[in-house]
Amino acid sequence: MFETSLCQILFYLLAALAVLCAVGVVAYRNPVNSAMCMAVCFAMVAAIFFGMGAQFLGIVQLIVYAGAILVLFLFVVMMLDIHDEGQSRGSYIHAAVGVLVAGFFAGLIIITALRLPGATDNACPVHSLCDSVGELLIGEARTASETPAAPAQYGGSLPKLNAAAAARMENPAISDADAAKVTSISDVKLLGKCLYTHYNIPFVILSFALLSGTVGAVALARKIRKD
Amino acid sequence: MAYIKIKRPKFSILDKVYVVELVKGLAITLRHMVLSLLGKSRGKQDFSTKGVGVCMQFPDERWDARLPEYYRGAPTLVRGEDGRERCVSCQLCEFICPARAITITPGEVDATSNCQKQEKAPAKFEIDMLRCIYCGMCQEACPEQAIFLSKEYLITLTDRKQAIRDKETLYRLGGTRKGLVNKWNQYK
Amino acid sequence: MDAIIDWYNSLMSNEIWFYLIHTLIKLVLMFAVILAFVVLSVWIERRVAGWIQDRPGPNRAGLPLFLLERFGSKEKQPLKNWLHFFGIPETSWIAKLCTWLRLDREIPIFGLIQPCLDGGKLFLKQETTPSYVRKFYFILAPMLVLGPPLVAAAVVPFASEVNTEFGHISMCVANLDIGPLWIFAISGLSVYGLTLAGWSSNSKFPFLGGLRATAQLISYEVAMGLSIIPLLMMFGTLNLQQIVQFQADNGWTLLPLWGEGLSLQRWIMMLPLGISFIIFVTCVFAEANRTPFDMAECETDLVAGYHAEYSSMKFASFFMGEYAAMVIGSAVVVTLFLGGWSIGFGADAALSAYCDWLAVLCQFCMFIVKLLAFIFFFVWVRWTLPRFRWDQVMKLGWLYFLEITVVNIFLTAAVLYFTK
Repeated sequence: MFETSLCQILFYLLAALAVLCAVGVVAYRNPVNSAMCMAVCFAMVAAIFFGMGAQFLGIVQLIVYAGAILVLFLFVVMMLDIHDEGQSRGSYIHAAVGVLVAGFFAGLIIITALRLPGATDNACPVHSLCDSVGELLIGEARTASETPAAPAQYGGSLPKLNAAAAARMENPAISDADAAKVTSISDVKLLGKCLYTHYNIPFVILSFALLSGTVGAVALARKIRKD
Repeated sequence: MAYIKIKRPKFSILDKVYVVELVKGLAITLRHMVLSLLGKSRGKQDFSTKGVGVCMQFPDERWDARLPEYYRGAPTLVRGEDGRERCVSCQLCEFICPARAITITPGEVDATSNCQKQEKAPAKFEIDMLRCIYCGMCQEACPEQAIFLSKEYLITLTDRKQAIRDKETLYRLGGTRKGLVNKWNQYK
Repeated sequence: MDAIIDWYNSLMSNEIWFYLIHTLIKLVLMFAVILAFVVLSVWIERRVAGWIQDRPGPNRAGLPLFLLERFGSKEKQPLKNWLHFFGIPETSWIAKLCTWLRLDREIPIFGLIQPCLDGGKLFLKQETTPSYVRKFYFILAPMLVLGPPLVAAAVVPFASEVNTEFGHISMCVANLDIGPLWIFAISGLSVYGLTLAGWSSNSKFPFLGGLRATAQLISYEVAMGLSIIPLLMMFGTLNLQQIVQFQADNGWTLLPLWGEGLSLQRWIMMLPLGISFIIFVTCVFAEANRTPFDMAECETDLVAGYHAEYSSMKFASFFMGEYAAMVIGSAVVVTLFLGGWSIGFGADAALSAYCDWLAVLCQFCMFIVKLLAFIFFFVWVRWTLPRFRWDQVMKLGWLYFLEITVVNIFLTAAVLYFTK
């Protein structure tokens, strides 16, 4: 399939670039280079999200991380004028701890990835994720009482085309109308529903954690008057 | 120093919101734009020009007719009514020139001249128009009323060598000046 | 001939090829329009500035006819040759008209060629790269400024959709479900260009300019994102094509005069929408680094800000990036608030019923007209308002706009709830 191979090539390209840049973040001694590598890494991850059809997630990744947080990083790095880090002599204990921590997180990611639907058979990761998103969406569309009002599929974006094709490939019994539904539900709604129903409590707790962080920052930055 | 308190204008809420003031400002600029497009800009009457705004369409329309008496253009050398070179090459202008545009090589007065009494005359008199700043100091310094700023303002060069004006050119541009300077009159 | 038609039909019947081909055509069209508008807006800027200041602006640059003289014609005034060729006497009114139009020297086009000549001049200027700069980022920065606005334009719809025999074509390059967010995200990336330009120049004024640009862009991005939420609450979608379709059916956001726009709810909604319009437009000015907010290149404090060390075409890239950001900003405002491509008063539906392609053509023209009008507004404001002070800019962004937009969201929710 033409679109399948395109999807795969794009995924592996973006993923390789993301990993390369992630290595660059650690390897560069100049902090500005590291920050720029991180920005490219974030952009690549956002692009992978786009490839999966999770457009909202990708764009939020771009706005929040690449557009705001990393710019502030860069801002601070430039303001402080940090020079290149000197060659530090590493000890074996440090290396061992590093390997342990990295291994732990890598294991976590690998386990999560293996438990994704369609990950163990030979499908492309993007594709399997497309399928799972499609399933989720179709389920959502069937349970929802109102049918989406948007016209079905006019010259949509490539990922959406893929999602429809993937849904059809996965299950030939799916009618065209259902495949169209996959493409017409926006992931914004899906994400919103998920976040404010299933994960509402963690969401609120996290926002409180962020708020306390903000308050702490303000308290630290506040000038204490002498009088 | 006395302590002076500056009076700041008091702004009302409406001024502070800024939107109304912004619209007023936009109205002013829009009025200017419309008037200049209609060819009715303020001050257009005393300034009879064609086209948009109060702007002279330079190569087509020129300032020449309304240049003021005191206009300072390119410096020139003048001859008297009797055809005498007024310059006696005292070099005051060369010394006073702030841009060092003037170079004078003094020489004897020409044997055929009708004024042998003044003895000196410039053998060479060069003004570098790339250096000249049209300040008019040479004219003020000249004790002989020999150098004047003309009203020439269009000085276009295609070559740096053209910028240096020699004596002949300067006398040609300056022409003759009315009014006798009798200082060097040999019958006096 | 038949073979070609067959090949064309089979090619277009393939979903993927059809998609690729029509996207490519739209992409080229969009790039051409935007770059043309960048050039055009420079001209508009200079002409309108002139008119506002009671002068004509650059009105003389035309296509000079002395070029003809170079290429063979020995006559100094080609006009005479032409008149002679057509047998028109030089005293006739045609000859006089031609002379009055300055056709004896050049083909006048109202100075429209001026920005092209400016660009040519910048292109031919000597390029100096100071020895003390960080070269990689120094070269990267202008690209990062010029690129994002062009990419951001991908989601802006410039006409409605067309039904062809091969499928539906939506007249925007990428019909994403996250239209406005895409524009904010991508145009927000241009801040990297400004920051890196300031930092890599390795000199203090560009550095301060870069810092100012970063702080300003981040501050106003917050208010910008929040200010359009009332709008999105009303539309219920983030897809720009659907948003414009909604406006075409139910009245523009700021001109609800037909369809459901005549309802009481929409007229009450004018209050929060008006507030968000003012705030959004101000934020667009700030994001595009235009004059009331051009703190980053404020020559009284910072020489030329972040591009003080740049010359030649690299400088021109910054310049073009600024104008491209202005064009895209205008396009977003037009799309969200002024009905995008919609002609209004129900004319869109009538035209589409008559002929799809005609409707698309009219809508495209309408979009261009609206875009030009808003670019004029940009320029008009620039030559009216003086620059703000830096502390005023920060105060306006964080202390007023942020609060007003948050309150505005609740106000909109209340209006939508109580007038349902």
